[in-house]
Amino acid sequence: MLLLEFRSFLFDGLLNTLLLSLVMILGGTLFAILFAAGLSLPSRWLSRPVFLIVECLRDIPLMVTVLLVYFILPNIGISLNPFWSSALSVSVWGGANGAHIIRAGLAAVPKGQWETVQAFGLGGWKGLLLVVVPQAMPVILPPYISLVTGLVQASSLGAVLGVNELLRSAQVLIEQTTIARGGSPAYLVYGAILVVYFVLCWAIAFVGRRLEAHFAKPYRRDRPSVDRGKDPSQVLAPTAPLDIRT
Amino acid sequence: MDFNYILDALPDLMRGLKMTLMVSGLAILLSCIIGAVGAALRTSGFKPAEYLVTGYVEFIRGTPYLVQIFFIFYGLPSLGLRLSVFWSGVVALTLWASAFQIENFRGGLAAVSHGVRDASASLGLKRWHHALLVVFPLAARAALPSSMNTIVATVKNSAYLQAIGLVELTFVAVDRIAYDFRAIEMFFSICVIYLLCVFALSGLGHALEHRLNRPFAGR
Repeated sequence: MLLLEFRSFLFDGLLNTLLLSLVMILGGTLFAILFAAGLSLPSRWLSRPVFLIVECLRDIPLMVTVLLVYFILPNIGISLNPFWSSALSVSVWGGANGAHIIRAGLAAVPKGQWETVQAFGLGGWKGLLLVVVPQAMPVILPPYISLVTGLVQASSLGAVLGVNELLRSAQVLIEQTTIARGGSPAYLVYGAILVVYFVLCWAIAFVGRRLEAHFAKPYRRDRPSVDRGKDPSQVLAPTAPLDIRT
Repeated sequence: MDFNYILDALPDLMRGLKMTLMVSGLAILLSCIIGAVGAALRTSGFKPAEYLVTGYVEFIRGTPYLVQIFFIFYGLPSLGLRLSVFWSGVVALTLWASAFQIENFRGGLAAVSHGVRDASASLGLKRWHHALLVVFPLAARAALPSSMNTIVATVKNSAYLQAIGLVELTFVAVDRIAYDFRAIEMFFSICVIYLLCVFALSGLGHALEHRLNRPFAGR
């Protein structure tokens, strides 16, 4: 069978997809934290431009952002190879979407928590990381996992620029076999990588649910019986509706 | 930046915009219909239909949109279904958007309270009248914000169709860049056009939301 015959070739593509996705997830998280910090700057003169950048990134199609970074950066003297170019553009896009998730999560933590933390002398980073962020996690995680699967799916955009990831490998495989043997195996190969991507995203969602359960634990134990069994994200606050999957 | 060049390219860009709007308009229309029917099936209580719709939604949401487009455009012909670039684009965009619209409308249906059913029953409404005249308007209101999000995303995602060679806005821009190397001008103009489209649509959505909420205002 065709797929088994070229399995090492497709496997290389899969490895590159995983690598690219990992870079995008790390980069996206970094940008998300930076943008979220920028959005909550005390001065309006500083936070407004960040808001504008984030909104533009969210409203322009990802495909356009990817092509834009690839074509424009060389004009200002930065030339990146397709891998880093697509990683950068998707990371920035993921950061813009992630910023709103993080901001909504932090806003959902009751103000009293901040005040208590400061009263106990845990000001600054320590209080944020040890007290506020763990409480924000039940709100942040569900849309964030969704964003992570979105980023894995967005890694297929690398194929447009010519990164040798899974979709590109499939394209090359189809071209070569069509030329060499006649008859296009496109439905088979594309169908197979659809399944691979689906399994990948399903695995991420599975791990995500475990993580959610982990961070939801304190609420199960301590909350009065009214809230028991309810989703902690609903107990805390609703998040902004997000349509980030592409 | 050379604005004369943008003016020069404007007729081409407008042709591209027309194609973008045509493809996404068709996809929006079809996906709203499929979304409403799918959501009704998913909450119908008929198990096989529920599993089928759930599986469809999960599969579309769990796979990259770009691969779906390639599967439809390059894969289906060898299975005996040959579609033109335009119709491949419409089908791909519709399939993608429908998955999200089904979820949106399902959320809308879930927001309709159970008391409504008893109220209709006590007024002697038939099942069909109850579904169409009572539940549907209420569910559509509840689903409108998230549904609008998906509609905006549908217009944005029509840009992916440049990968199969549909001559829409992004394709026109990239095509001209290949000839004239005016990347900054072209990307500036298509970004502005996309932003205008998105703002117009979300403004329309807010206006519609406001209009539809009139019966509930002041209560």
